[in-house]
Amino acid sequence: MAADPVLLTEMELDALTELVNLGVSNAATSLRDLVREEVVLSVPRVIVVTREQALANLNERVAKRLVAVRQDFEGDIRGRALLIFPEAKSMELVRGIIGSDLAAEDIMELEQEALAETGNIMLNSCLGTIADNFERSLRISLPEVIYGEGDEFFGTKSGGKPDDRVIFMYINFAIRHRDIQGYIAMLLDLPSLATLKSLLVALIERTAGSPIIAPPHDS
Amino acid sequence: MTANEHELDQTILNAVNAGLILLDRNKRIARWNGWMQAASGYSQQQVQGKMLSEVFPAANLGRLLTAVTAALTANAATILTHALNSAILPLRTRSDRTLLHDVTVMPVGDEQITGCLVSITDVTMVTKRERFLRDRQNARYDAVVASAPDVIITVDEGGLIQFANPAAVTQFGFGKSELMGIDAAQLFETKGDWNAAWSDAIHKSAPVQLRTLVGRRKNGDLTHLEASASSWKTGSRVFATIILRDVNERRAIDSALRNSEAQARDAAAALSELNRTLEQRVKAGTAQLLEAEEALRQSQKMEAIGQLTGGIAHDFNNLLQGITGSLDLVKKRATQGRFSEIERFITGAMASANRAASLTHRLLAFSRRQPLAPRPVEVNPLLASMEDLLRRTLGEQIALEFVTAGGLWLTRCDANQLENAVLNLAINARDAMPEGGRLTIETANTHLDSAYTSRQRDIEPGQYVCISVTDTGSGMSADTISKAFEPFFTTKPLGRGTGLGLSMIYGFAKQSGGNAKIYSELGKGTSVKLYLPRHRGELETEDFNPALEDSQIAHANETVLVVEDEFVVRDLIVEVLQELAYRTLEAEDGPAALKVLQSSQRIDLVITDIGLPLLNGRQVIEAARQSRPDLRVLFMTGYAENAAIAEGFLEPGMSMITKPFAMEALATKIRQMLESDPTPKPPDGRVKPRADAPD
Repeated sequence: MAADPVLLTEMELDALTELVNLGVSNAATSLRDLVREEVVLSVPRVIVVTREQALANLNERVAKRLVAVRQDFEGDIRGRALLIFPEAKSMELVRGIIGSDLAAEDIMELEQEALAETGNIMLNSCLGTIADNFERSLRISLPEVIYGEGDEFFGTKSGGKPDDRVIFMYINFAIRHRDIQGYIAMLLDLPSLATLKSLLVALIERTAGSPIIAPPHDS
Repeated sequence: MTANEHELDQTILNAVNAGLILLDRNKRIARWNGWMQAASGYSQQQVQGKMLSEVFPAANLGRLLTAVTAALTANAATILTHALNSAILPLRTRSDRTLLHDVTVMPVGDEQITGCLVSITDVTMVTKRERFLRDRQNARYDAVVASAPDVIITVDEGGLIQFANPAAVTQFGFGKSELMGIDAAQLFETKGDWNAAWSDAIHKSAPVQLRTLVGRRKNGDLTHLEASASSWKTGSRVFATIILRDVNERRAIDSALRNSEAQARDAAAALSELNRTLEQRVKAGTAQLLEAEEALRQSQKMEAIGQLTGGIAHDFNNLLQGITGSLDLVKKRATQGRFSEIERFITGAMASANRAASLTHRLLAFSRRQPLAPRPVEVNPLLASMEDLLRRTLGEQIALEFVTAGGLWLTRCDANQLENAVLNLAINARDAMPEGGRLTIETANTHLDSAYTSRQRDIEPGQYVCISVTDTGSGMSADTISKAFEPFFTTKPLGRGTGLGLSMIYGFAKQSGGNAKIYSELGKGTSVKLYLPRHRGELETEDFNPALEDSQIAHANETVLVVEDEFVVRDLIVEVLQELAYRTLEAEDGPAALKVLQSSQRIDLVITDIGLPLLNGRQVIEAARQSRPDLRVLFMTGYAENAAIAEGFLEPGMSMITKPFAMEALATKIRQMLESDPTPKPPDGRVKPRADAPD
């Protein structure tokens, strides 16, 4: 990573983490209104990795078979956003949203639509919150539900360039006594990442004229 | 946009088989196509320029309006599905049915957002077709599963419950919503077996063997379930459906059945064993009872014999003394040629030998193991034959008196048992008179009338021979009398009596067709009466009561008092002393001896038996020494143990000789004593025989 052309600083990552948390917090409110149940979403950590690392991460830490809700965005920053769950957990997520006592067959019947709408709420909220804070506009597409393995989500087959970067966020979903761990991934090309970095710097400077987080010790 | 262009657009919009609503930047309706008019009932003209909330005032448009805002402000596209949103808009089909629909909200505008497009897709047919297909596919399955008595649950690859039937709810006690989505392993105690069951089904896709699992219900109870599992696939997913059969009842029944079978087997075995051994056991029991009775009878005898042992030894020694002493004199007279005097001593020896034989006979008869053998019995001779035995049993402190009725009837009973009964009564009487007393044995002919027998159990009015044994002892209280005939009742100290004496006597009397009664008064004495039925018939009798002639008394210078209740022995001693030229005096009991000793009579030596009636030898000498302190005394005893303890009470001038003894030894002993100083006792070497002493 030493050769990484665009490296976010600790502070920029903190700012991004905060933005994403703002976004999922809005999403949690929307979901709570939708399912009429307490929904807690949290994103404890944001990392920026290469596609290979993102793949390795998924394969290592998550199940092989995955389900994702994909939404593309374009504007000053372009790329795709993915909400990813292990396939085995996706049913639980849907059950958490739709209601408990439906049989597997009923869940599966509604699964795609429910996942699409849930992913849509979350990704719209995250991307919208980020764009809003950057005072930029991102055109966000309709969601698509994809079942597959990690390389189908980050691979070059589905578009994108080899040196694209992935902003990788671990997300914890708590709903109806269920704890479901998933990931939000944003695939960006290098120019988009550079723009993101500059937008983050601008945001940090703009926010009360000082960094939103305590300044570095050496400043 | 020209009017024509607008019209063309509207025509195209109306041709789209989807609801289209174009909102301007202010969220007001700019376009509304024909589909929307059909589904909502409102025309383009009616809704033009209105807010959605004005068109659908009753609808909950929250999410739709949020999506519109997101599109207009954040350029975001949103989807609202029927899956998560029931009736986003209140739309109806042409046939006035609920119209299921999805909604997408898209921003409109290339550089600038000029508005947003809300498009509505009819999914009624799709949804209904899906449901119809699934229902058709699953109808039978659902019917079976819903009504199945077995628990049927479906788990996904993670082991999470994706389906649970009503039986599962009933079985585990959790609500359906509590079951769905949880790790099914939570329901089992035997988690390893459970996990093996479902994961084998999913991963091995081979038939899974039946396993018995132990589940835990919501209330904590354990439940036994037999599991079978199979897997199925849909798309890329694999599920396992597990059927769990409640085997609690079967287990309980099996267990109960096993128990009851085991019990039945045991009972059958016990019954057949009982049948097999019943006869044998009855026989054995009867035999045991008879043996026990016999053993008790025998132990009674043994106890009596134990009581007799000391007395018998004394008795026999006395009799042997009579025999050997008489024979000794016979030998002497023969040597001297005084044949005319021989016959007297032979007669004495014979009498002693006969009495010894009689005693032996009685003892043997008594101790022999004889079954009850009723025969005609003449009671008076039987009692007479027991006299020696009774005297020895009672000891010398107790006077024995017979009061026998003349013309006593015969009775019919076991003679040995009658002897046993009398002997036991005598022993009881003796024990009631530790300080001595009098025992009276009476016989009488008695007529029991119906007035008497009506008060008694099991006795007929009629003629009876009555034998009463009366002592002058401590007597019994009314309470003791009432219990006296009960088995094992005893007033004797532990180890002294079996408590069976009176009960055996009572039993004997009853078996013989008679009765036994106790009359007693505390401090005055006890009388036990045996009533034995009169027997009309004949019998043989034996006579064991030979008499002896009195001996003559010779005279000499020195005077010796011989105190001996056994007159043969006394006679022999006197004879020897007369031969030796002693003057002799005789006494047959203690008081008689004391009377002589307390007189002024010259007495150089007293030869006395230790055991004497009324006053024993030691008591006599003790009293006599008050007035004659230097009196020389030679004690005779038939009891070996008396000799052993003699050293304890022998004072100077006293000596002891043990029966039986040779007349020669007696003569030597007497000479020793008379020639010695009264105190201290001289050593043997200084003793010189008198000049007139025999050879």
